Formats: sequence, C-alpha cells, structure tokens
Amino acid sequence: MMNLNPDTLKLPQRELAGQADKPILRLEAIRKVYGKHVVLDDLNLTLRSGEVVAIIGPSGSGKSTLLRCINMLGPATSGRVVVGDLAIDESIPPTAQQLTSLRRSVGMVFQSFNLFPHMSVLRNVSLPQERVLGRSRKDADKRSRELLARVGLAEKADQYPARCSGGQQQRIAIARALALDPQIMLFDEPTSALDPELGLEVLLVMQELARSGMTMLVVTHEMNFAETVSDRVIIMADGKIIEEGPSKEVMRDPQTDRAKRFLKAVKDR
Amino acid sequence: MTADMFLGVATGIPWTLAVTAAAFVLGAALGLPLCAMRLSNVALLRVIALVYIILFRSVPPLLWVFVFFFGLGSGYLPISAFEGVVLGLGLITAANMAEIYRGALSAIHAGQWEASEALALPSYSTYLDIIAPQLLRVSLPSSASYAVGLLKDSAIASTIGVTDISFNANYIAKSTYQGLPVFAIAALFYIMISLPVAALARAADQKLRARVAL
Ligand SMILES: Nc1ncnc2c1ncn2[C@@H]1O[C@H](COP(=O)(O)OP(=O)(O)O)[C@@H](O)[C@H]1O
Ligand SMILES: [Mg+2]
Repeated sequence: MMNLNPDTLKLPQRELAGQADKPILRLEAIRKVYGKHVVLDDLNLTLRSGEVVAIIGPSGSGKSTLLRCINMLGPATSGRVVVGDLAIDESIPPTAQQLTSLRRSVGMVFQSFNLFPHMSVLRNVSLPQERVLGRSRKDADKRSRELLARVGLAEKADQYPARCSGGQQQRIAIARALALDPQIMLFDEPTSALDPELGLEVLLVMQELARSGMTMLVVTHEMNFAETVSDRVIIMADGKIIEEGPSKEVMRDPQTDRAKRFLKAVKDR
Repeated sequence: MTADMFLGVATGIPWTLAVTAAAFVLGAALGLPLCAMRLSNVALLRVIALVYIILFRSVPPLLWVFVFFFGLGSGYLPISAFEGVVLGLGLITAANMAEIYRGALSAIHAGQWEASEALALPSYSTYLDIIAPQLLRVSLPSSASYAVGLLKDSAIASTIGVTDISFNANYIAKSTYQGLPVFAIAALFYIMISLPVAALARAADQKLRARVAL
C-alpha cells in the first residue's frame, strides 16, 4: 500500500540553474467581478521558470476563477497576464492569434478530466497536435505514445476513455495537455474527483513532471503535495492572496490568523 | 390476393426508400447549421432560424410538398416530383432535426467545450471533431424515431405521382377493385421497413453506449 506521506514525495533538489529567476508568468492586478461580487481582488503573482506553486484555500475563494483568467477561459474584468513575450490585457477581447498563442503556452488539467469520450485514448492526445500544431498523424501519434508511456499508460492507447479508471483518465488528460509542448501547466484540483489510491498515481505523475522542470501552478486539496512537491504555497481567501512563501514555512508556520484557521481546519478533517 | 398484386406494390419500395433516405440525409445535414444559427450570438441569425423552424414545423408536410412541386415546379424552377417531395420533406426534417440537436446539445458536458478551448482547438475542429460526433450519437434514438415517422410521411410522394409503395397500392386497388388486400400488402411493407430501422438504431445505440459511455 503506497502512502502519500512527505517522505515518499521527497524530491532531490531540482535543477533550476540559469533560469531560476526568469519570470515566465506574471499576473498584474487581476480583478474579477460578477455583478457586485468581487471574486478576485487585484491579485498579483509571478512564477519563475521551472517553479511549482500550489494554491490552497477554502472553497469559493476564487482559485478556479484565477486559473481560468490565466488561459482566458473566463477572462478577468481587468488586469494583465504576461506569459513569456505575450502580454494580454484581460479587459479587452484578445485577437484570435493572441488566444491561440496563450493557450499553446499554457496547458490546463481539469478536475473532471474532460477527455473526449468518442475518441480512443491515442486520438485524444493526437488530435490537438494535428489541429493546433499542424503535426502529421504519424508524428502526432509517435509523440502521443511517448507521452502515454511517460504517464504509465502506453498499453491504453487504443482503449476508449470510458474503459479507463479515473486516475488513468486524468493521466491521459495530462498527456494530452503536454502534447502541445506548453511552457506552463495549470492544474485545477486534479485529484479531487478521485479515490485516494487513484489520486496518488496522478500525484506521482505530477511529481515527475515537477522534477523534469515544468512550471506548474496547482490548485489542490492535497496538503502533502503542497508541502513537499511545490516550491511555494499560496493561500487564497475571499479573492485575495492572504499568505505566500516557501512551502514548508507557509504550511508549518503561517503568519495570518485566517491562514492559521484554514490550515487547522484542513488538518483536523 | 395474387402474386401480381404483391409484386406490383413491391416495385414501389425503392422509391419509398429513396424519398425517405434522401429527405432524411438532407434534413440531418441542414439541421446542424440551423441548430448553430438557432443558438448563435447574432440576433438576426437566431430570428431567421426560429422563423424557419416555426414555418416548417407548423405547416402540414403535404402543403410544403405542393408548394415546391406545383408552386416552384410550375415555371420558376422546373423540378421533378421526386425532387419536389425530397425538398419539401427534407426542409421540414431540417427544422425537426435542428430541434433534436438542440436538445441533445444540453447532454454534452460543458467540459467538452472548455477542454477544446483550453487546447486551442480552432472552432471548426471543436464543432466537427468534438461536438458534432457526440451530438449525432446522443440524438441517435430521437433521430431514428423521426426517420420512422418520415418513412410514413414519404407516402405524400404518391400524391404528386412518385411511384412509391402507396402510389402503386392505390393504382392496383383501383384497377382490381380489391382495396383491402392491396392496402394490407402496402402496410406490411411499411412495417417490414420500419422494424429493422428501429432495431438497427437500438443496436447501434447500445453498442455506442457500451463503448463510449455517453
Ligand atoms: N459564473 C459565475 N457567476 C457568478 N459567480 C460565480 C461564477 N463562477 C464563480 N462564481 C463565484 O466566484 C467565487 C469563486 O469561485 P471559484 O473560483 O470556483 O472558487 P474555488 O475554486 O476557490 O472554490 C465563488 O463565490 C463563486 O460563487
Ligand atoms: Mg474550484
């Protein structure tokens, strides 16, 4: 029986030499309002290349909304998202080219997997490569098989998603997002819909991805993942970042009362 | 009842099948853009689609077929009886299929659109590769029962001289003065065609359901 305790997830120091200080994602004054309800309140955040940041916080604090602002699935009311050389003003409609370029740079993994149920696992991973990157079927399939092997699912290529467990489906979804060679991966509670054992196999894939140097922003309820895999933890409440810092410090010694209460509530559960 | 009667009515089967199939294919194809227009962000497109759907669903099929064959056919645009009935029934089918698709669309999880967007799929691909196949699959049971209804409506073709099952039955009944057996034979043919269609649709539905769980 595998167990997700801090020791099994302990990682060798990741190699970030040379690019550790280069910002790859910058969020500037992100504000999102639904009617009178302020969901994101002038939020700022910078991710360096190769950094893994976990976002935790109570339900309804705006975590999903924030991720959806970054790839413009749900644009913010105002604010700016900068990914590499691409700067996008969230308050005005982006050009089609900006959107495509943004979404090619930023991959997303959803809580509910969202695989295409009418396609084989291989097609799920290959189709976006063909339609978005213009790869040939042959090249796309080759890349897909590599990625499926990487997430431990080479033998599932010809199955339909419905024949796969939830944990397998989520790993396929990760492979599908990686197939577009993104610079940043967003995860929105990737294990919340899964039983603990199935969640663990997904977390192990994410841990391997983190180790390989992928820049990751992960909304999660997995406190062990936040503490031991991520470099930095952000605690959100009511649309604001209430606490932010190196993972161990934030998780073990939070400064604000609100963060203390949240972490206590989570640990007592 | 004689073998002649039987064979005489049977020669209409290809026409009945042709009218039904052609009208259904035309309607199933046109129904997709019509459904997209019905749900468009552009108000004008929505209104056009809505007017089209109301118009084609509330006027009896017989009337539409007359409009195309006698109205258009005489003068404006010479079309055959077959073309007239396929056009009339096909355009009605488009209106009905658009509504069937619209219902099926709500069964497609919002995550399918979001994943397509997040993966930067161009919109043609989102519609053709992701949404349309699921839409056709979800609407299969309703489409099949509509197709069986259409098979019966195809008898309208006989009123403008397409020699389908009903036309032949009517003709033979009049020339032999034996209506009952002749029309019984015609009824038997309609049943023999619709039963396999319904069974095939059910089988396909179950097979797809088992495979993709949708
Ligand atoms: N489409 C919407 N319309 C109105 N309010 C919304 C909408 N989507 C989210 N919200 C609100 O935004 C807040 C943040 O939601 P969300 O980002 O999903 O939180 P989290 O992911 O942290 O649980 C919640 O209060 C939620 O009710
Ligand atoms: Mg959420």
